[in-house]
Amino acid sequence: MRTKKKMKTSPANKAFTVCNTIFMILFILITLYPIINTLAIAFNDGTDALRGGIYLWPRKWTLKNFITVLQKDNLITGAYITVARTLIGTVTALLSNAILAFIVSRKRFLFKKQLSLFWVITMYVNGGMIPTFVLYKGLGLTNSFWVYVIPGMISAFNMLVIRTYMNGLPDSLEESAQLDGAGYFTIFTKIISPLCKPVYATVALFVAVGQWNSWFDAMLYNRMNSNLTTLQYELMKLLSSVTNQGSSAESMKNAAGSVTPETVRAAASILTMLPIICIYPFLQRYFVTGLTLGGVKG
Amino acid sequence: MKAKRVTGMLLTSVLAVSLFTGCGGGKNNVNEDGMKEFTAFFAVPGAEINDDNDIQQIIAEKTGAKVKETWLTGQTASEAVGTLIAGGEYPDFIDGGDAMGQLYEAGALVPLDDYLDNYPNIKEYYSDEEWDKLRQDDGHIYWIQQFQNIKGEEKATTHNDEAFWIQTRVLEWAGYPEVNTMDEYFDLLESYVEANPMEDGTENIAYTILCEDWRYYCLENAPQFLDGYPNDGSVIVDPDELKIIDYNTTDTAKRYFKKLNEEYQKGYVDPESFTQTYDEYIAKLSTGRVLGMIDQWWNFAYNVNDSLKQQGLDEKGCNYVPLPITIDKGIKNQWHNSGGALNVGFGLAITTSCEDVEGALQFIDNLLGQEIHNLRFWGEEGVDYEVDDEGYFYRTEEQRTQAADAAYKASHLCTYSYFPQYKGTSDDGINANRPDEQPEEFYDSLNSTVQKCFKAYGCETYVDMLGTNEAPGSWYPMYSFSNAMTTSTPGGVAWTKMGEIKHEYLPRVVMSKNFDSAWDEYMTAYDGCDPQAFLNEMQAELDRRMEEAAKYQ
Amino acid sequence: MSFGTKSKRVKVVEPKIQFSWKEAKRQKTLLIWSGVILIYGVIFYYLPLGGWLMAFQNYRPIDGLFHSEFVGLQKFQQLFSDATFLRVIRNTLAMGVINLVVTFIAAIVFAILLNEVRNAFGKKTVQTISYLPHFLSWIIVTGIIHDALSGTGIINDLLVNLNIIDQPINFFAHKQYFWPIVAFANVWKETGWNAIIYLAAITSIDPSLYEAAAIDGAGRWAKIKHVTIPGIRPTIMILLLMNVGNVLNAGFEIQYLLGNGLVQSVSQTIDIYVLNWGISQGDFSLGTAAGIFKSVVSIVLIVIANQIAKRNGDERLF
Repeated sequence: MRTKKKMKTSPANKAFTVCNTIFMILFILITLYPIINTLAIAFNDGTDALRGGIYLWPRKWTLKNFITVLQKDNLITGAYITVARTLIGTVTALLSNAILAFIVSRKRFLFKKQLSLFWVITMYVNGGMIPTFVLYKGLGLTNSFWVYVIPGMISAFNMLVIRTYMNGLPDSLEESAQLDGAGYFTIFTKIISPLCKPVYATVALFVAVGQWNSWFDAMLYNRMNSNLTTLQYELMKLLSSVTNQGSSAESMKNAAGSVTPETVRAAASILTMLPIICIYPFLQRYFVTGLTLGGVKG
Repeated sequence: MKAKRVTGMLLTSVLAVSLFTGCGGGKNNVNEDGMKEFTAFFAVPGAEINDDNDIQQIIAEKTGAKVKETWLTGQTASEAVGTLIAGGEYPDFIDGGDAMGQLYEAGALVPLDDYLDNYPNIKEYYSDEEWDKLRQDDGHIYWIQQFQNIKGEEKATTHNDEAFWIQTRVLEWAGYPEVNTMDEYFDLLESYVEANPMEDGTENIAYTILCEDWRYYCLENAPQFLDGYPNDGSVIVDPDELKIIDYNTTDTAKRYFKKLNEEYQKGYVDPESFTQTYDEYIAKLSTGRVLGMIDQWWNFAYNVNDSLKQQGLDEKGCNYVPLPITIDKGIKNQWHNSGGALNVGFGLAITTSCEDVEGALQFIDNLLGQEIHNLRFWGEEGVDYEVDDEGYFYRTEEQRTQAADAAYKASHLCTYSYFPQYKGTSDDGINANRPDEQPEEFYDSLNSTVQKCFKAYGCETYVDMLGTNEAPGSWYPMYSFSNAMTTSTPGGVAWTKMGEIKHEYLPRVVMSKNFDSAWDEYMTAYDGCDPQAFLNEMQAELDRRMEEAAKYQ
Repeated sequence: MSFGTKSKRVKVVEPKIQFSWKEAKRQKTLLIWSGVILIYGVIFYYLPLGGWLMAFQNYRPIDGLFHSEFVGLQKFQQLFSDATFLRVIRNTLAMGVINLVVTFIAAIVFAILLNEVRNAFGKKTVQTISYLPHFLSWIIVTGIIHDALSGTGIINDLLVNLNIIDQPINFFAHKQYFWPIVAFANVWKETGWNAIIYLAAITSIDPSLYEAAAIDGAGRWAKIKHVTIPGIRPTIMILLLMNVGNVLNAGFEIQYLLGNGLVQSVSQTIDIYVLNWGISQGDFSLGTAAGIFKSVVSIVLIVIANQIAKRNGDERLF
C-alpha cells in the first residue's frame, strides 16, 4: 500500500497539496503568535511591560518573572501532589471511563439506553458549589488527597468519546471471542482495549491536562492544608496576589510589588505548558499514525 | 515492561501522597515547640508569605504565637464565606470582606465586647464611640476594623484618594497657575496639547477616563467632590440638614458630563476611554502620554510611578499631582479629609472554631504594641531600617529597593496586613508608624520635578496641594452601608440597577453628538431604576447613625 | 463514483434485547459493574442535586438547606420578570450557537486537512503547535485580542493601509462586533485542541478503504468526502449532540474580560448576570434558579437532538 501512494500526482492533487501547505503555514503563524507573545512578555521586565507594545521579542530582558514564580513557597509540595494526582487520577479515570464505555457499548446490554441517559444527564445538571462541598465533607473527602481523584473518576464526556469509538469496532470481535468461551472481562482487556489505544490516548490526555491544570478543588477542599496544595493552586495564589484586583488601598499595598501580573502570569503559563508539551509526543504517535485493524473490519 | 513502569510510578506517587497526608493532623493550636499556631482567612486577594518567614518567626518568639494566613483566590468573598459556613468549620481568625454580615448571621463569630477590657492595646485602639459603631444589631462587637486608625499626630503625606490629577510638566509649562475649577483644568489641558501635540514622537492625550467594571468611579462620582462634599461614595450628605442628596442628578452632575461631552467632541478626551481595560489604562499612563485624569492614587500610582521612573520620564515631568478642583470658584473642596474613615462593614474577627479565644486576642493585643508594630511595618532594625543618634528611623536606598521586592517580602517581611494596625505617629513621638509616612522617607523618594512643583505652590506633600479638612460628621462614610447592600431589599435592587444603567449610559452621554437628548435618555433610564428606594434606605441609615452619635454629645 | 458498500455510511441498527432472567444471568458481569458505577454516579452527581431546593428558598448558609425560608417560585419569577434576564438569555443563546457552529466546523476542517499533510514531521509539528493556545488563560488571550483590535493595533493598521477604511474602528465600542470577536477568540484558542478527538477518530478508519478509493481513481477531495468524513461521522454526531446541550454555557470569562459598559447589552451572559445579581451579594438561591433553568433547557435540547439523530439513524447519546 505504501508504494502505491505515489501512483498518480494529478494537477488537482498538487494544487491541493500546495493550498493545504499554505493553509497550515498560515494556521501555525496565527496560533503561534499568542505563544511567542507570551514568551516575550515572560522574559520582559515587569515594569517595562506596563508600557505595552511587546510583540515578538522582549524589550528589556530578565529572568525575574521565572525566578519569582519558582521561588514561591510550597511549590515543591505542590509539584509532588500535582504529579501524583495526574498519574493516579489519569489511570483511575481512564480505567473507569473505559469500563463504563465498554458496558454501554455492548449491543446486548439490557440497560444500555437507561445507563447512557443516566450519565448524559450528569453533563447538564449541577447541584452547585455549596451542596457539593457539604457532600464531600460528609464523605470525608475534605482535607484529603482523594478529593482530587474520586469525584472526577467518571465523566460522561470522556465516556461517550470512548463509547463512540468502541461502537465503531466490529461486533464480530466480541462474538467470536464469546464462542471461544471468553468472559466480558477477557473481552474488555484482551480484545477491545488493545484496539482502543488512540481513543484511550485522547481521553488520557484530556484527563491528564485537566488534573494538571486544576486548582479550584485544592482551594475549596484543602485550603488550610498546605501539605495537599497543588502546583496550579500555588501559582493561582501568586497570580491573584500580584493581580491588581484589589479594590482598596490596603489590598493594593498588600500586593507583591515590583513584579507585575502580566509578566508573572506569562511566566507561569509557560512553565505549566512545558510538561504538557513534553508528554505530548509520547501520546501523539497513537493518533498520528493510522491503526491497522487488519481484516476484521471487512 | 511498560505496565511495570506505570505500576512503579503509581506506587511511588501513592507513597508520596500517604507521606503528605500523614502529617495533616488534627486542629490544635499548639505545635511541638509550645508555640501557638493560629489560622486566618481573609476574603480579599493578598500575598501569602513563606512558612519560614523571618519576621514572622521573630514575632512568634516574642509573642509565643504565629498565624498562617490564607487569602481569597478565584472566588468572590460571598462564595468563599458561603462554603465555609456550609461546612461549619472556620479558621481561627477571619475577615469576610464584603460577606462579613453573612458570618455574623451564621453565628460564626465570637462576641468580643466582654473580653475587650482585658486587652489594653485592643481596648485603646478605638474610642467608646467608635467601638459602639462596630456593634451589630444584637448589641455585640464581633469584629475590629483594622485600617485607617491614626495614632498621635497624623502624618499623611500622600493623598491616597480621588482627585483630578495632572502631570507636573503641564503645570510647569503654564508657570504653575492656580487651577481651581473644572473649566480652568480643561482649559489648561487644552492649551498644553495645542502647544505640544507631540512629545518624543508620541501624541499627547489630554484626558483619559478609566471605565472598567467597578473602577468606573473615575467617571461617575466626581460630582460629589465638585460640589465640595467628601467621599461618601454613593451619595452626598448635606451636613446641615442631614439629608441624603443624589449626586447623579444634580446640576453639577449635568454640567460635569456636559463638559466631558464638549471635550470629547473637541477631541481632547481619549476616544478609547470607555473600552480600555485597566491594564491598557495603566500602560497608557506609563508611557507618559496622558496629561490628566480622575482616579484614586492607589489605583494607579504604585504601578505607574515605578514605570515612569524606569524610563526616566519622571525627570521630564510625567508624574501626577492632585489639583483642588471644584465646579465653581469659592467652594471649599473636600477631596482630602483628615482622620481615618471608620469602615464598619468588615474587620478582623475570631470564629467559634477558635479553641483559644484569649490566646488569639492576646496575639492581636501584642501586635499593637509599639515594638511589634515596628517589626511589622519597619522590619528588623539594622536590616530593614537604620536608626540615627536621635532615634530617628530611616532607610537606605538599598533597603528601600529590597522592601519592594516580592521575594524578599515573602521570605522576610511579615506585616500581618489584615490585623489591626496604626498610621500616624509612634509612641516615641518622633517616628511615623509606617515608612511611607516618615517625612524624609517620603521627600527623598520624590523626584525633582515633583519637588519643584510642590515648592512653586508652597506645599510639602500631596495633601498640601489639596488642603485638608476636618473629618466629616459621625455618619461618614456612607459607602460602608451601600457597599454591603444586597438585592434582598428594594433599595439594594435599585442600587444594582443604577450601577448597570450608569455603566451603559454615561459613556453614551459623553460620546453623544447631541448631549441634551442623550442626557434625557439617560435620566429616563435612571429614573426607571427607582433610585428613590435606594435613597430612602440611605436616609434611614443616616438617621440611625446620627441617632447613635447623638448619645455621645 | 462508487467505492462499494464499505465507504457508505452504515446506519446504526439496534438489536432489540428483551429483559429475561436468562439474559441477565448471561451478562452478570456487566450488570455488577454497572451497578457499582451507578451507585458512584448517584452519590457524586445526583445527591448534590438536593441543592436545587435552594432555588425555592431564601437560602441562607446559617439555616442550611433544611431550615431556610421556603419562597416557592419567587426566585424564578424574579428572573423572568426582569427584562435584563431575558436579554442575557438572548445573548447567551446567540453566542452559544455562533460559537458552537464556528468552533465545530473549524476543528473538523483542521483535523481533516492536517490528516492530509503527507510529511510526518510537518504533521507532528503543526499538531503540537495547534493545541498550545488551549493552555493560555483567557486573560492572556483577551489581552492579545484587545491589543490587536485597538486603535493602533495590527487589524486597524491593516485595514487602513489597504484603504478598506479611512479611520481606525474602535471595535469594542460597537455592539455589532462583539459576538464575532468572541467567536473568533474561541476558534483561535480551541481549534487545535478540539481537533485532537477527530484526529483520533480518523486513525480508526480502515486504510483499505482509502486504497479501494484510490483504485477507483478517487482524488484527495473525493477520499475526504467519501472515506474520511463518513469515518468520523459518529464522533462528529456525538460531539454535536453533547454540545447542543451546552449552548447556554457560552461562557463567562471571555465576555467579562472583553465587555465594557457600551456593549454590555450584548455582552452579558447568564453567568455574568447571576454573578452580579446573586453570588456577589450572597444570594445563592438566584444562582441556583438560573442553573436549573439552564439544565432544563439543555436537557430538552439534547432530547430533541437525540430524537433527530435517531430518526436519521445516526450515532446518538442514549
